[in-house]
Amino acid sequence: MKRQNLVQSLKEGLTDIFQVWGMEMHSVMRDAGVLIFVILVPLAYPLIYAFIYTNETVREVPVVAVDESHSSHSREFLRKVDGTAEVRIVEYAPDLERAKDIMRRKGAYGTIRIPDDFNDRLMQGEQATIAIYCDMSGLLYYKALLSSCTEVSLEMNRDIQITRLTNTTTREDEVTTRPIEYEYVTLFNPQNGFASFLIPAVLMLIIQQTLLLGVGLSVGTQREHGSFLQLVTIDRHRRGTLRIVLGKALVYLMIYAVMGAYIACVVPHLFHLVQLADGNTLAAFMLPYILACIFFAMTASAVVRNRETCMLLFVFTSLPLLFISGISWPEASVPVFWKVVSWIFPSTFGINGYVHINTMGADLANAAPQITVLWIQTGIYFITTCLVYRWQIIRARRKIIQERYKQQTAKA
Amino acid sequence: MTMQTITHRIGRLALREGKRMCSRPLYVFCMVIAPLFCYIFFTTLMSNGLPTNLPVGVVDQDNTSTTRAIVRQMDVFQQTHIVARYPDVTEARHAMQRGEIYAFYYIPHGTTEDAIANRQPRVSFYTNGAYLIAGSLLYKDLLTMSVLANAAVGQQTLLAHGATERQALGFLQPIVIDTHPLNNPWLNYSVYLSNTLIPGILMLLIFLVTVYAIGSEVKEGTAHEWIHTAGDNLPLALAGKLLPHTIIFTVMAAGYDVYLYGVLGYPCNSGIGPMLLAALLLVLASQSFGIFLYGLLPSLRFALSAASLWGVLSFSISGFSFPVMAMHPTLQALSILFPLRHYFLIYVDQALNGYSLAYSWQPLLALLIFTLLPLFILKRLHNAIVYYRYIP
Repeated sequence: MKRQNLVQSLKEGLTDIFQVWGMEMHSVMRDAGVLIFVILVPLAYPLIYAFIYTNETVREVPVVAVDESHSSHSREFLRKVDGTAEVRIVEYAPDLERAKDIMRRKGAYGTIRIPDDFNDRLMQGEQATIAIYCDMSGLLYYKALLSSCTEVSLEMNRDIQITRLTNTTTREDEVTTRPIEYEYVTLFNPQNGFASFLIPAVLMLIIQQTLLLGVGLSVGTQREHGSFLQLVTIDRHRRGTLRIVLGKALVYLMIYAVMGAYIACVVPHLFHLVQLADGNTLAAFMLPYILACIFFAMTASAVVRNRETCMLLFVFTSLPLLFISGISWPEASVPVFWKVVSWIFPSTFGINGYVHINTMGADLANAAPQITVLWIQTGIYFITTCLVYRWQIIRARRKIIQERYKQQTAKA
Repeated sequence: MTMQTITHRIGRLALREGKRMCSRPLYVFCMVIAPLFCYIFFTTLMSNGLPTNLPVGVVDQDNTSTTRAIVRQMDVFQQTHIVARYPDVTEARHAMQRGEIYAFYYIPHGTTEDAIANRQPRVSFYTNGAYLIAGSLLYKDLLTMSVLANAAVGQQTLLAHGATERQALGFLQPIVIDTHPLNNPWLNYSVYLSNTLIPGILMLLIFLVTVYAIGSEVKEGTAHEWIHTAGDNLPLALAGKLLPHTIIFTVMAAGYDVYLYGVLGYPCNSGIGPMLLAALLLVLASQSFGIFLYGLLPSLRFALSAASLWGVLSFSISGFSFPVMAMHPTLQALSILFPLRHYFLIYVDQALNGYSLAYSWQPLLALLIFTLLPLFILKRLHNAIVYYRYIP
C-alpha cells in the first residue's frame, strides 16, 4: 500500500514537473526578449569580447627619444629599444619640451631621455641614468616601455661589464656578472596576454548575468499577465512548489547545458586561449555552477515587478561582480567586507573555479573548494527559491479567492 | 509659442515626471542608490592603490643559511608575502591551482654549493599568468630582487678587491632606468580604473533610465497625455520630461567629481572646471543616446536590451584597461560610437595630464554630436510614441 503511494506520488510529481516544464519552455521559446538573453547574448557576446582582446598584448607603443648624449652607447640603447616588440621610436626630439608636445598631441605615449653626461659617466665607470616618462592613461603603455627599457639595459649592462673584465673565458665573465642566474616563468599564460586572463572570467559572468536577465524577464512577464495564477492549479497537490521550481529550473538547465558547453569549451578553443581542463572535472564544475546560477536568478527574480525592470536592476552589477571576484584586483587585496559580500554570488566561485580548472588545469581535488561552495549555494538558493515561489503562490491564490468571493457576493 | 508658454509647459512636464519618479522606487534605485553604491564600491575595493602582500610560496630544496637569507630578503618587498613552503614544484603548482598563492620561488638542491664554486646556479620564479595583475606585480619584485641579490654577492667581492662603493655600483649596474610614471607616480590602480569605471556605470544607468522613462509612457498608455501636455510638440515633451533626470544625473556626476578629486584627492591637474564640463556633457550625451536608441528601436524591451549591451561594451572598447591602439582596426573605428570613449579621452587630457582644453576639442565635439542625435530620429520617435502600441 505504502509502496503504491510512493509510486503514485512519484508519477504525479513527475507529470506535474513536466507540465510546468512544458509551459515554461513554451513561454520562453515564444518570448523574443527572453531569447535574446538566454540564446543570442551567450552566443554573441563571448565572440565580441574575444575579438576585442584578441591581440593579447600591446605592441609597438609609440615613443619619443631625446638623445642628449649623442654617443655610440646612447644610440645603441635606442636602437635596441626600437628593436623590441613592445616599443617603437616614432621621433627623435631635440629636447624634452618638444617630446612633451608630441605626447600632448597623442603622437607618442612615452619619452626616453638619455642625458648629456651619459657616455662620460659610463666611461668613468660610474652609474649612468636613463629617464623614461610615461603617459599613465593606460598601464599597459607603462608596462611595455618599462619592460623594453629594462630588458635592453640588462643586456647592455652585461656587455659593458664583460668589456671591463679581464677574465680569460666567457664562462668566467658570466659567472662574475651574475653569480646566481634568475629565471622567470609565467605559468598558464605564456604571453602574459589580456585575453587569456580576462576572457575566462567574462565567460562565466555571462552565464550568471544572462540567466539573471532571462529568468527576470520571464518572471516579470508572468507577473504582468497574471499567468502566475496558472501555477496555482498545479499547486493543489501537496508539495506543489517543489514541482513548479523543479519544472522551471529544468527548462533553464536544458538551455544552459548547451550554452554552457559552448561558452566553456567552444569559445576558448575558437580563440586559442589556454585550455588545460580535464573534461570530467569541467563537467563536475559546470553542473553546480549552472544550477547555482539558475536558483540564484530565480530567487533574485522576486524583486522584479515588471517585465523590463530586470535590465535596470541587474545589468550594471556585472562590473562590480567582475572586480569583486578577484580576477583583476587580486583577491588577497580585497577588503574583508567585500570578500564576504562576494560569497553571495555564484559568479565569484564560478570565475575562480573556471580559471583554476580551464586555465590552470586544476584537477577535481584542487578545484574541490569552489565546487563544494557552488553545491552549497545551489542548496541555499534552491530553498530560497522555493520560499519565494511559495509566498508568491499563496499571494496569487489569495487574490483568486478574493475575486471569486467578490463575484459571488455581486451575484447574490 | 511664446517663451512663457514654453517655460510653463516645461514646468508642467517636469512636475508630471517628478510625480512619476516618486511613485516608483526603481527611479531612486537607478538614479541615486546604484551609482552611489558603485562610487563607494570601486574606491573602497581598491583603496590600497596597489595590491600589497600577495601570497607567495617557496620551494627551498637547498635550505642553507644563504638560501634562507634570499627568501627572507624577498619577504621584505612590499608586494610579496611568503605564506607557505612546499617540498617540491608539483606541490607548489597544486597550491597555485587551488588559488592559494600567486607565485613561488624554486631554489634547487645545491644552489649554495654551486654559487661558492662559481658554477652559476639557477633560481626560478614561477608566476601565475591567469591572474595577470598579481603576476606582473610580483614579477617586478623579482626583477629588483635578482639585481639586488647579485649586486650583494658581487659588491662583496669588489669591495674586498679594494673598490669604492661608488665604483662597485658603477660596475654592477652601469645603466640605471629611472621611471617617471607621469601624474600617477604611485601606480595607483584606483586612480587608473575608478576614473572611468564610475562615469561608465553612470552612463549605462542613464541610457537605461532614459529609454525606460520614454518607453513606459507608451507601455502604460500615457504617451498621448504626455505629448498633449507639451502641446503636441515632441522636442518640448522630451525636454520637459527629461529635465528632472538631467538635474539629478548632473548632480550625481558632479558628485563623483567632488568625491574623486576633492575627497579622495585623485590627480586633477586641469582644475575641477573642465571635469565638471565633461560630466555635464556625459549626462547630456548619454540621455540623448538613450532617446536615439528608443527612436531607433521603438520597443521598450529591444531598446533596453540595446542600451544594456552598448553600455556594457563601452567599458571594454573605451580602452582604459586594454588600449584601443592594440585592438583590431575595425574596433578602433567603432570605438568612436561609444560616448565613454570620448569621456575617457577628455579625462586623460584634463584631470590626469592637465593639458589645456584646446587639446581635447575632438572628444568634446564628439560628445556634443551625441547630444544632437535625437534630432535625426524625431519623426520616427514621434510615430513610435503616438501611433505604436506596446508590444511585450
